[in-house]
Amino acid sequence: MQRRQSSKNSKQPLQVRHSNQTDLSAWRKGGRTDPEKSLQNRQSRNSQVNESKQDSLEQAVSYFEKVQDRVSLKKNEVLQKHLATVESIALQKGLPPEAFDVLLNVALSGKLADAVNTRLLKSLIPASVIPETSVVSSVSWLCVSKCSGSIQLLFVRWLITVFDFIDHKEQLHALYGFFFSFLQDEKMCPYVCHLLYLLTRKESVKPFRIRRLLDLQAKMGMQPHLQALLSLYKLFCPELVSITLPGKMKTYFKNSEGPWKAAINTIRRRNQENSPVSQPLFLGTAQHQSRKRKWNTQLVIPASSANTNSLAGDKEKNHVDLYSTSESFPVEQLQTFSQLLQNIHHLEFPSQMGSVLTNPLLLHYMNCIKDESIYLRLYYWMGQTLQEECSWCVVDSNQYEEEFKDFLETIYKTECFLQEGFSSCEEFLYKSLPLWDGFCCRSQILRLVTWIPLSSFSEMKSHLYDPLAQLFFTSSLYFKCSVLESLKELLQNWLNWHVIQLDSESDSQGYSLNTTLSGLVNVVAELIHFVGWISTVALRLESNATFLLYFILDFYETVCDIYLRYNLPLLIMPPAGVFYPALLSMDSVSLNQLCYIMYRYRTNLVAAKENELIKKKILQFQFSSQTYQEYNQYIIAMVGCLWTSSAFQKDIHPQGVRLDDEVLKKTRVQEFKTSFNIVYHPAMMGYALLFLQQAWPDDNTFNFSLIKGRKWNWYLQYLYAQGLKGLKLFIESSINRVSRASQSKEGNVQV
Amino acid sequence: MAVVRPFDKLPALNSAAVLLVGSDESLQQKLAEAILKEKKNFKISIHLATSLPLPSERDHLRPRIDLIAFMIDIKSKYSLKNVEASLAHVDASFFLGKVCFLVTGVGRVNYCSVEMNAIWKLGEVYCSPVLYCELELEGIRVATAQRLLRMLQICAGHIPGVSALSFGLLMRNSADE
Repeated sequence: MQRRQSSKNSKQPLQVRHSNQTDLSAWRKGGRTDPEKSLQNRQSRNSQVNESKQDSLEQAVSYFEKVQDRVSLKKNEVLQKHLATVESIALQKGLPPEAFDVLLNVALSGKLADAVNTRLLKSLIPASVIPETSVVSSVSWLCVSKCSGSIQLLFVRWLITVFDFIDHKEQLHALYGFFFSFLQDEKMCPYVCHLLYLLTRKESVKPFRIRRLLDLQAKMGMQPHLQALLSLYKLFCPELVSITLPGKMKTYFKNSEGPWKAAINTIRRRNQENSPVSQPLFLGTAQHQSRKRKWNTQLVIPASSANTNSLAGDKEKNHVDLYSTSESFPVEQLQTFSQLLQNIHHLEFPSQMGSVLTNPLLLHYMNCIKDESIYLRLYYWMGQTLQEECSWCVVDSNQYEEEFKDFLETIYKTECFLQEGFSSCEEFLYKSLPLWDGFCCRSQILRLVTWIPLSSFSEMKSHLYDPLAQLFFTSSLYFKCSVLESLKELLQNWLNWHVIQLDSESDSQGYSLNTTLSGLVNVVAELIHFVGWISTVALRLESNATFLLYFILDFYETVCDIYLRYNLPLLIMPPAGVFYPALLSMDSVSLNQLCYIMYRYRTNLVAAKENELIKKKILQFQFSSQTYQEYNQYIIAMVGCLWTSSAFQKDIHPQGVRLDDEVLKKTRVQEFKTSFNIVYHPAMMGYALLFLQQAWPDDNTFNFSLIKGRKWNWYLQYLYAQGLKGLKLFIESSINRVSRASQSKEGNVQV
Repeated sequence: MAVVRPFDKLPALNSAAVLLVGSDESLQQKLAEAILKEKKNFKISIHLATSLPLPSERDHLRPRIDLIAFMIDIKSKYSLKNVEASLAHVDASFFLGKVCFLVTGVGRVNYCSVEMNAIWKLGEVYCSPVLYCELELEGIRVATAQRLLRMLQICAGHIPGVSALSFGLLMRNSADE
């Protein structure tokens, strides 16, 4: 057993180990020649101060190494001095790897009073990494129960916080059973569960452990930490865990960050500021580790991530021998795609799952092996990090907003790469959107929204639509536009997902799980209705701003083509609150966009009707006659406005522009009939004016009524040449000009 | 002991008045300053009160109140109690879109001493929107000030075609539909 090998006799006085001494001074020297530090233009006085600090730390550590009996803190000034040194240096720059062995030994051996031990443990803040051996030897102290329960508890909490700083994990994994035995202790149980959750691998799941956990659960009731561990076990070995566990848990573990987290962050930050160039996130080995905050650290694969010791990295042949025992290829060596292909059968993910995010090769691998437990590890880490760092939910991390933004950006890019949303990210959004102010990390959050997976409407409504709508209505025009933009992308992502499902339908059953085609149609329809509703309100609130209208119509450019482009039997017309502001807008861009959208609706509807007539199948998803009716009402209004100058008479939409002649006469507008045709329409009048100037350069009367007959055709050609492609498509498709010579203004409006 | 009423006075031209009610005066002050710093094309008067009812002696000098924002600090139970007590002195017709609850302290959810459920229920019972923010942070304070201004513009009737009542309905969580 591993633990026996390192158990020791505490009565034997600790020898001064020279290796440690040299280690420490080596660290000091190394610190001086560290390329990172030599880059800083420190002043010589500064460096002297640093040096003296390092000396005093060295002294302090060697003092703690030699300290023998219970020395009283109050009486002993030397102890006070050294303790203060360790504390201040730890808080300022963190402790070097070599110091941990000594300090952990002292703190857990029970030689000093608990107050001292607590202070020592609290100051164990790593500057870079923590050697695994020191952790293992300190665990052995727990066996001989020399230290009090509260110190043990503090140690386990420390271990959880700094878990990712431990350089290797192999021997720690071997101590799994030892940690497991601590579950009996009621106070320790939640923290030990958390630690085990971090340590568990597939081979750690054993029937007797499951039985033990179930016993504990029976005794203590449904505790979230026990459930967390059980659900992890169940994921690894579903055949062994037969009980049913609640599906989604928001938080399994209480925040056990303790007194260290803030200090670790400060040190990371300070080191990062000292580095001359900001580090781009890239795949590399661990040399940049110390500069980053916790999650940033984890985006780089540390050199020691896998359980191999040296990186020979020679020839292919050597590889086979070298790794035949461990059967795994060190991921930090993975540089090219061909390497990935060659070693795909013996790759092991790094202990820091976060590093996968910035490594496209590992993402490929992750995508191809589809291992649930990998996703679980990633989600667990991501969920925890998002929750702890969220800039508007945690005031203290507000100053790190830029870093949080980078992190969200990285997640978004990974989602784009994998073409799927992460459930931990979805949960984070659902949890924090209601508390969001719409300001902090705006573009990043709205981008993450675009990858929210399809789920039931009621869930989307209460978690996404409602909070988003509240923010939307009370925020600026630009916020409204960005929300519309990201909802458009959300829609496109769902539709793309559907297309991919359709493609794979040929090989398997297609819609797996609980998603059916009608379910998908409903969820997509609800999204479109939601956007239609907020768009109508927004146009009213912002008095039909052209900028806003552009984003709304952009959304409908996707909606109008769903049937043909995405092969989903769904077409939804824009609400009247969007259609009429666009039709009567002051801007030719909006009008042109609307014309294009109506042309695409027509194409889709005609195709749908043809398919219905020819195949006479999939009648389950016929468009309702209401859709056709709505389209026809709009097209009558549109042709009436732009072409036949009869909108006020012929518009039959209940919210349309139909007006009685008597009312119109009272407005005293002359020629009201033509006031919205392609010559007089406020969006088009500028073109008409320019056309007049070119056609009759000598005429200054601006007589628009000259544009008729053959000139009308010329004018149309002029408009098309000005880039109004949407108008061209609309007029050519929806208006049936009986004879071009006679310029009949007949509209063929019925589909 | 005057009950605040929304329609007992005539509105002044091109101006709007907001009443901030909350027990934390320094945060109130900061928010008011942030609102005043925002660009706007109408006159605004901000009235601060730690609790309602407002004193009746200067009532004739007070303009018509267009929007009441009740400030609740999730770290203090007292602030919620205070708001609940003050709500009794508000005329019922105010709740047709002219009241909102501003919940601050979101940045310290972990130290929350008020049940979030209680706040949510308050919004439901009084049919008024609940805005969450962290007024201690300047950026969020500015964003919140902008949101309040937008609501105030609507409540004061400066946006054609949108009334306080219709806006209030939009802001309702549709869960109870």
